[in-house]
Amino acid sequence: MTSHTAERSLGTDVQVAKGRRRRGSGWHAYLFVVPSLFGVVAFLLLPMVIVLVLSLFDWQLLSDPTFVGLDNYRRLAGDGQTWHSLGVTIAYVLLCIPLQTVLALSLAMLLNQRVKGVRFYRSLFVVPWMATPIVLALIWGWIFDPRDGAINSALALVGVTGPDWLSDPTWALPAVALVSVWQYTGYNMLFFLAGLQGIPKELHDAAETDGATPAQRFWRVTLPLLNPTMFFVSVTNLIGSFQVFDTVYAMTDGGPSHTTEVINFRIFQTAFKEFDFGYAATLSTLLFLIIFLVTMAQVRFFGKRTTYDLS
Amino acid sequence: MAKRILLYAVLAVGAFVSVFPYLLVVLTAFKTQAQLSGTAPWLPGLPPTADNLAKMLAGDFPRYLLNTAGMTALLTAGQLVFTTFAAYAFARLRFRGRDVLFWLFVATMMVPSAVTMIPLFLIMRELELINTWYGLLAPYVLGTPYGIFLMRQFFKTLPAGLEEAARIDGAGPLTVLVRVMLPLCRPALGTLAIITVISSWNSFLWPLIITSSDDTKVITVAIATLKQGIGVDYNLMMAGSLIALVPMVAVFVFFQKHIVRSVVLSGLK
Repeated sequence: MTSHTAERSLGTDVQVAKGRRRRGSGWHAYLFVVPSLFGVVAFLLLPMVIVLVLSLFDWQLLSDPTFVGLDNYRRLAGDGQTWHSLGVTIAYVLLCIPLQTVLALSLAMLLNQRVKGVRFYRSLFVVPWMATPIVLALIWGWIFDPRDGAINSALALVGVTGPDWLSDPTWALPAVALVSVWQYTGYNMLFFLAGLQGIPKELHDAAETDGATPAQRFWRVTLPLLNPTMFFVSVTNLIGSFQVFDTVYAMTDGGPSHTTEVINFRIFQTAFKEFDFGYAATLSTLLFLIIFLVTMAQVRFFGKRTTYDLS
Repeated sequence: MAKRILLYAVLAVGAFVSVFPYLLVVLTAFKTQAQLSGTAPWLPGLPPTADNLAKMLAGDFPRYLLNTAGMTALLTAGQLVFTTFAAYAFARLRFRGRDVLFWLFVATMMVPSAVTMIPLFLIMRELELINTWYGLLAPYVLGTPYGIFLMRQFFKTLPAGLEEAARIDGAGPLTVLVRVMLPLCRPALGTLAIITVISSWNSFLWPLIITSSDDTKVITVAIATLKQGIGVDYNLMMAGSLIALVPMVAVFVFFQKHIVRSVVLSGLK
């Protein structure tokens, strides 16, 4: 990496102190990064390497690990159940992300104007995010209960017989996705709100003076300037959604008939129920690769459209 | 005017949906066993009873609460300090290997957490740190890639001109960070603090794996244990949940205004 590209990202005023910084900041920078770097290497990278190595072994916990080379990967190719799990995961992501993002941005825009009790609403919308996963699963399991659950009790009032949500293969996955949307919409709203408040009001005024309609102002001013926020929100949300586990584990246990068995859940099953650690490590590697590719695609997508520096 | 009414209607419905499950927790925590089966979930049991709460607070629950609070405080302090330094370096300083290192951090965010638990447990077993505070805290106290990603995005929104003046006066990176950048960072630091407090308070899988004694048991694990008890006692579970929830809601209400604040502009004006 040349100093030229790095300087460009800091803007025009960089030339002023060019010489001093080229020499000065390196040494401090390493000192700043070292503690976190140690944490990441010891507690994330090392485990990751262990997982990679483990994926080349057959290890059924009680037996000694035996080196099997790429056998686990060959097995993966013909493993219909895993590909099914992958399909479930993608369906889950497609159910959650668009709804969550659109809702969060809409709420942020509503609450970015003069509204009575704006703080009160902001707080209330973020409350779901604070729920402990265990509690969350208990309470939503009860809300979705076919007989005395809140949803079907309410539906009965208007003469509709609700489905047996969590035991119905059609409804179980949407129900689980709904809980995620419920939990994270307000949280994402906070980031959009912070992003919206970072947009200079003058830009909107100028656009309005030039005769831009509200829709034009949204697509031409708001959205492009929200790009860094959008980048952060979509990257972290997608990574999180691909790794969903707690909600599924506590609400449906992967059922009914595997319709909510997301890939992370399948990895957990393979490791802790079947004690097939080597193969579980192989599945983990697959999940990691998928998340990696999706994230890279996002980086390229946002990198092309932004006026900000994301590198 | 109609638009205004619609706006408030949307907000009211959204607020209700957000809070409704919590309402159920509160209502259930104050019901007796008989009231639980006799009333609709969304109706209060009359007269309300504090027996469930009293029962929870009389047992080991306060101790688990204290453990959770201790863990949360230490993890949050560590995250704020180490993450800020690293994120600032990644956003504003130049050093060889910066981009490679940063993407390494981001890449580790993509590692499925359920999977690193196995090797992490093996590592802790080698170091004989199982069932200790060190084992409980070590993986998270040095900051998280998520936190670094968040803070770096924030540092990047601050105008570079602010640092230049200090640099020309001869201030080193540490002085610039502490004197110039940190005061501007308060909203972002508040956000990071809240995120860390809440995720530490709610963390479940790692404490479950690494701790088993009462000295290190946290509240989420305690609630899960209630669930596994013979004959699930809903009222007690909800009372426990309520106790776990109240401090978080309090923290959030207290810090709320710091989170959402004009970030870029308030720094300049």
